[in-house]
Amino acid sequence: MIQRLLPFITLFALFVGLSIASPDHFLTKTNLSSVVRQTAVINLMALGMTLVIVAGGIDLSVGAILAMGGLLGTMAMAKGNPIWLGVMIGILAGGVCGLANGLLTTQLKINPFIVTLGTLGIIRGVTLIISNGLPVHEIPQAFSYLGEGNLLGVPFVLWVLVACAVAVHIVLEHTRLGRYTFSIGSNEAAAFYAGIPVAFHTTAVYAICGALTGLGGMIEASRLMTGQPTAGQGYELQAIAAVVIGGGSLRGGEGSVVGTLIGALIMGLLANGSDLLGISPYVQQAIIGAVIILAVSFDELRKRKMTR
Amino acid sequence: MLLELKGIQKRFGGVVALRNGNLAVEAGEVHLLLGENGAGKSTMMKIVAGMQLADGGEILWKGRRVSFGKPADASGMGIAMVHQESLLAPHLTVAENIYLGREPRLPLGWVNRRKMLADARRLIEEQHFPLDAGWRVEKLSPAGKQLVEICRAIAHGSSLLIFDEPTSSLSGHETKEVFRIVKTLRERKMGVIYITHRLEELRTVGDRVTILRDGETIHSCGLHEISNERIIQHMVGRELGAMYRREPVTPGEELLRVEGLTRKPALENITLSVRAGEIVGMAGLIGAGRTELCRALFGLDEIDSGTVKLAGKPAVIHSPRGAVEGGIALIPEDRQQTGLATALPIGYNLTLADIGKVCRMGWLLDAAREKAIADEYIRKLRIKCESPRQLAGRLSGGNQQKVVIAKWLVRGAKVFLFDEPTRGIDVGAKVEVYEVMDELARGGAAILMVSSELPELLQVADRILVMRQGRLTGELPGRTTQEEIMTLATLHDGGALIGEKE
Repeated sequence: MIQRLLPFITLFALFVGLSIASPDHFLTKTNLSSVVRQTAVINLMALGMTLVIVAGGIDLSVGAILAMGGLLGTMAMAKGNPIWLGVMIGILAGGVCGLANGLLTTQLKINPFIVTLGTLGIIRGVTLIISNGLPVHEIPQAFSYLGEGNLLGVPFVLWVLVACAVAVHIVLEHTRLGRYTFSIGSNEAAAFYAGIPVAFHTTAVYAICGALTGLGGMIEASRLMTGQPTAGQGYELQAIAAVVIGGGSLRGGEGSVVGTLIGALIMGLLANGSDLLGISPYVQQAIIGAVIILAVSFDELRKRKMTR
Repeated sequence: MLLELKGIQKRFGGVVALRNGNLAVEAGEVHLLLGENGAGKSTMMKIVAGMQLADGGEILWKGRRVSFGKPADASGMGIAMVHQESLLAPHLTVAENIYLGREPRLPLGWVNRRKMLADARRLIEEQHFPLDAGWRVEKLSPAGKQLVEICRAIAHGSSLLIFDEPTSSLSGHETKEVFRIVKTLRERKMGVIYITHRLEELRTVGDRVTILRDGETIHSCGLHEISNERIIQHMVGRELGAMYRREPVTPGEELLRVEGLTRKPALENITLSVRAGEIVGMAGLIGAGRTELCRALFGLDEIDSGTVKLAGKPAVIHSPRGAVEGGIALIPEDRQQTGLATALPIGYNLTLADIGKVCRMGWLLDAAREKAIADEYIRKLRIKCESPRQLAGRLSGGNQQKVVIAKWLVRGAKVFLFDEPTRGIDVGAKVEVYEVMDELARGGAAILMVSSELPELLQVADRILVMRQGRLTGELPGRTTQEEIMTLATLHDGGALIGEKE
């Protein structure tokens, strides 16, 4: 029980710790807003990653998908299309990339680790080819509202994130797709033997992850006000870490939206706290890596106790 | 006494593999370990070899109490095992495998390859094995690989060698060769434990025999003191389970009809029919094609030719999904791998095959309806659990099996394929599974039941089909005898299971 609550306790401890360590800067509206804005992108990717990991898969290509979505969306706007259409194109591009991941995994029956390692390279390469390696700058000013605007006094991205989190939570816990996701991740053979269309639902999960990542790409582009073909490098590590810290199991069949959000927030606060306390971003990277290993080893320990 | 096991216990989650394993082996003796599938033979030997940790009981090695935490502990003491499936490194040479982990060294930790090769050659020559130390192991036959494992055991100075079903993958000639080697090992005053399920091999190799049943040592004695019939009786047992006897019902409509089903090389021209209310047993040796038949009927394997009719209508089944939609259910022999999501709650497992039943608009789960269905079937099948939210893997073997069956009841399946339905289930719980099957049949289901436990078939089945080498060799009434079944199962087959009688 304590181990189940561990992510929550860690988050709480971090929050209290930072409030005490940096009382003047941490608990301010500006700072907390910026934590939300900074973590929103990773959070969105992590929501999609939660589905993929619960289904027993993994997607290493999300960083590249993020760049692809952001680039195509901003390119559409640069060509004079309305903002909403650009955002839709970004989401769609991400969805198509995810669909490709799903189809390759289920049809070629290759380990998703290898498939998405491959598509990571392909998608990143194609993004660079399309953009010729140059960022897109000609973006309508109003687009910045997505990443930087406020609605009812809180960052607009927070609303977007909450809406997506609620939606993914409902999908995972209360729909047929979610139930199949758990079944496939927990025991793919048993799911197949029960007549579940395993390939279809696995593919769907990758596509949703891609679409959410595409949306993340648009938010990233909005915050930078550029479509960067090199955006999102290394984000897959953070997205996977958020899921795992939040109790998701890389063996599949375990994970939750609430856990993932807490996991992403823990990493967000770690980064923010390091900034406030003047710890270098190089050290932050190492800390995130260590936290992942710590989280997984706690999880393994818990499971070993259960089976004994 | 070389090795003594006292009251060894081992559980895997809810399944008891060993409840009271006892064994005593002397140096210079070939000790046969017998028992049905799932009796606990392999588990007991894995514990001796340090591959698994016993939950209870004690191991005495040369009179001293020992505990093996890992295989190296056991091999360090002089215990070696020749496995069912080879555990050699296929890309290394014979010599490298023989001395794996104990390579002769040069200064600075370099491996002395020349000495290793020469040592291996000498060793192989001493045993008169048809091997070359320089060959790569992946090129060897199963028999050759076993020879390498034997060499390894000798090179390591082992004093106890365990053979786990050594002849199951060997030809007749190779089997004779293994027997010859076992005898030379005995002459070297080594202890040999030899696991087998093929009684014909008994008299050729063994000195003493220990019989396991349902995880318990039932009997141990000198081989010359006991007849094959007695051994079989000890192996199959006549307790608890023998009390049960199903009362057949009048069969109804023909729900499953198979004609000329062929899938080379496993299945050849299979024709059978199962009616509503019937339990049709399917007997045969391991590898006779019974599981393959279930797989083909369930759409897991494509068939070459033949037709399947469900309730009179022709059915073409290419996938489990198609089979499930046609009303077929498979209760697979490897329950935990393909029947159950052990890490998910019981409730999830119950609705796995028909989630649509508890969905609004076809996609939104209705928690109340799901709980009602879970409660209903937990009650109906008397599944012993705390709540539907308990993880399926925490149930006992018998209750896990009930969950697998209940899943298909929720789906409303009509044709049930049971593949070894009581494997690894406690004797008491077996009867409960029979009762569930009986209720199913009375409710109008057609049941095809594959089992290697002949007493079970005799108790439960209305009639028994016998398969041998991919063909149906006959049909017997439910009240037949084990001997008649075995005759059909082994006909002209050199008597692979219980052929030889005294």
